[in-house]
Amino acid sequence: MPVGRSTSVHSAGAEWTDEARGLASRRRWEARAETPRAPRRFRGDRLAPYVLVAPALLIILGLRLWPLLLGVNFSFTGDGDRDGMPVGLDNYADLLSDPVFQIALRNVGLLALLLPVAVAVPGLLATFIFLRVPGHRVFRSVYFFPAVLSPVIVGSIFNLLLAFDGPLNSLIEGIGLGPVDWLGDPKVAMFTVVGVHIWATFGMALVVFLAGFSTLDPTLVDAARADGATVAQMIWHVIIPALSRTIQFVFVTTMIGMLTSMFGLIYVMTSGGPGGSTYLPEYYIWVQQGQMNRPALASAASTVLFLIMLVMGLVQIALLRRAGRED
Amino acid sequence: MKQQALWPAVLAAALVLAGCGSASGTKNPSDAAGGKLVVWDWKSGDKTAAAYVEKAKADFAKKHPGVTVEFVAQPFDQYYTLLGTAIQSGKGPDVMLFNGGGQLRDRVSALLPLDEFIAADKQRLAGWDAFAKDGKVYAAPITLQGHPIYYNKALYKKAGLNPDRPATTWSAFVNDCATITKATQATCFAVGNKEGAGIQFFMSGLGSGILTPKEYTDWIAGKRDWNSPNVKRMFELWKEANDSGLNNKGANSTALFNDAFGLFSSGKAVNIIGLMSDIGHWKDFREFLGADNVGVMQAPVITSGTTPSLPYDGGIGYGIAKWTQNPALAADLVRSLTSIDALHAFYTGAGAIVSDTTVKTSDGGPAVTTIVSSLKDGKPALHVALSSKTQDLMGRLSQQIIAGSVSVDDALKQLAESDKAS
Repeated sequence: MPVGRSTSVHSAGAEWTDEARGLASRRRWEARAETPRAPRRFRGDRLAPYVLVAPALLIILGLRLWPLLLGVNFSFTGDGDRDGMPVGLDNYADLLSDPVFQIALRNVGLLALLLPVAVAVPGLLATFIFLRVPGHRVFRSVYFFPAVLSPVIVGSIFNLLLAFDGPLNSLIEGIGLGPVDWLGDPKVAMFTVVGVHIWATFGMALVVFLAGFSTLDPTLVDAARADGATVAQMIWHVIIPALSRTIQFVFVTTMIGMLTSMFGLIYVMTSGGPGGSTYLPEYYIWVQQGQMNRPALASAASTVLFLIMLVMGLVQIALLRRAGRED
Repeated sequence: MKQQALWPAVLAAALVLAGCGSASGTKNPSDAAGGKLVVWDWKSGDKTAAAYVEKAKADFAKKHPGVTVEFVAQPFDQYYTLLGTAIQSGKGPDVMLFNGGGQLRDRVSALLPLDEFIAADKQRLAGWDAFAKDGKVYAAPITLQGHPIYYNKALYKKAGLNPDRPATTWSAFVNDCATITKATQATCFAVGNKEGAGIQFFMSGLGSGILTPKEYTDWIAGKRDWNSPNVKRMFELWKEANDSGLNNKGANSTALFNDAFGLFSSGKAVNIIGLMSDIGHWKDFREFLGADNVGVMQAPVITSGTTPSLPYDGGIGYGIAKWTQNPALAADLVRSLTSIDALHAFYTGAGAIVSDTTVKTSDGGPAVTTIVSSLKDGKPALHVALSSKTQDLMGRLSQQIIAGSVSVDDALKQLAESDKAS
């Protein structure tokens, strides 16, 4: 890069060098220069970082935090006849007494319980690929395939497969078991939808696991093999400890995915039914805002969902930090 | 790491502070351009409604040549969500389409009463009640929506039954179904209750054969006795029909729109409680089964002493937003949208039973003739009288009744409470 005294870049650079030499030398330099521009240039440099982060900060404040606060504020107003009036915590009281919202919260708990399964599936499959089971190259691409399909398409495909007179039930009846109303039985439907969600999204987690495996020291695996470890022992004593950070990362992202991206599947597969058994907060918010014309109640539900996510996020960050310390 | 933890903490603090805030429900009138009217609906994009929109536009252009009308077709799935946002911000279309009943009544605070504008149409059009609240009319009906019981005449013939004399009592109806199912494998009813709408159709389609005329009138007038034996009978019958195999299997996981209609159209079910307009109606079925094979029957008598009638209300209609700048101009557009020529085009194009009952329908085949001739003695549908909140609850309970996780008594108790609250 050509260097010229006239460019401000160079001037700034010179100033930083001076600063590195110490305050005293800078004072001397300023006295020598005796130009009125020098202090201003110095102030500009101090402002520069703020100017540089300002766009990002303004976007976060203006388009994220401010609407968030408006939403929270809105949740303390009424709907319908009481539109725009302050109603205190009425919406939250309504929410807690609404059995559908209770189901939605219980389902969040169920998702948290099913989280280990959602993490174990890609984890195990990635392990098999890592251990080079026959055909592992094919599996690697096949497993990722569902991740590129939109939830609406996945939902429609499984609607057909899981219909009461659909292929899966024919298969089950073929081996002598009674048909199951996969999407019409309140006891089964939520598990079905979660199962389909795992099927549709595990490809992404699988890729993360494979990336984690690439950092695994192969000599450890070789050593375990030489010592005559079984596959189960190898997974338990070598792979899981070595990949603990990857596993935690997948836990965090999978939980967020479950809470925020199951709307499409629920919308297409069950419409929240049967009997409200597949409601999640997200779907509840949509129904209250759009179908029931209760936007303020929907805001209250959004606030609750936000708090749930916040708590989960904090817990997970704490876990990750602890894992970081252990390293 | 520290910063990551700091942000949520700052957020939480901000939220706690924001919690002290108060309501902010300001409404600004829109700044719609004077020479333009914007219409929101979910119909104008359909090919079948193209002629209707053209006719209505032409009629309006004659009266107000300088005013442009823009139709914005929204996807129906998202329609009320989008409309809710528009209403909340106090800005949006001047004229908007509504479903009659709860969907309109929940939103009258954003609408202009139309009584002074539509006096001249009051007699010509039917179905006003579905668009009225507290004695004021908020939208002008363009279609009538109801729940006729359609049956597949070809399956009747195949089973050796007379397709022109369908059963008039419940026991005869069930017997006919048994005969047909034996001969053709078709189930008695095509039911889709995935959306929870199946119970609404069932209740309204068969209700006039279950409730006595007085009970029926009381129900519509808002005096609903959820403990009466006949109301209970409706819900018991809903369970019985499913348990005894009259419905297609997996009703809870079958979508009414449009899997259940598909079952009927493909001859896998003999009867369906369908619609009169929009979709799932005589014109849709005619395309698959042939005009002569689509029959319409009165509800069978289930409780003695009842007089079955066609349940129908105003279907969809156009209302005017409170924030429109020139209400008289918007009202003229609504009148053009309900003009006889436009409505005739809507009948011809989409097969809708329109609100102007003088529109000629003689070319529509036997099903539409039966429907139109039953309009005279028809009554409002039972489920339309319920608030959308109660309808939503009823949808969920109906699924649980079928699944066996809620008893009919328990469901009635919950419904009575919800009905009382709204």
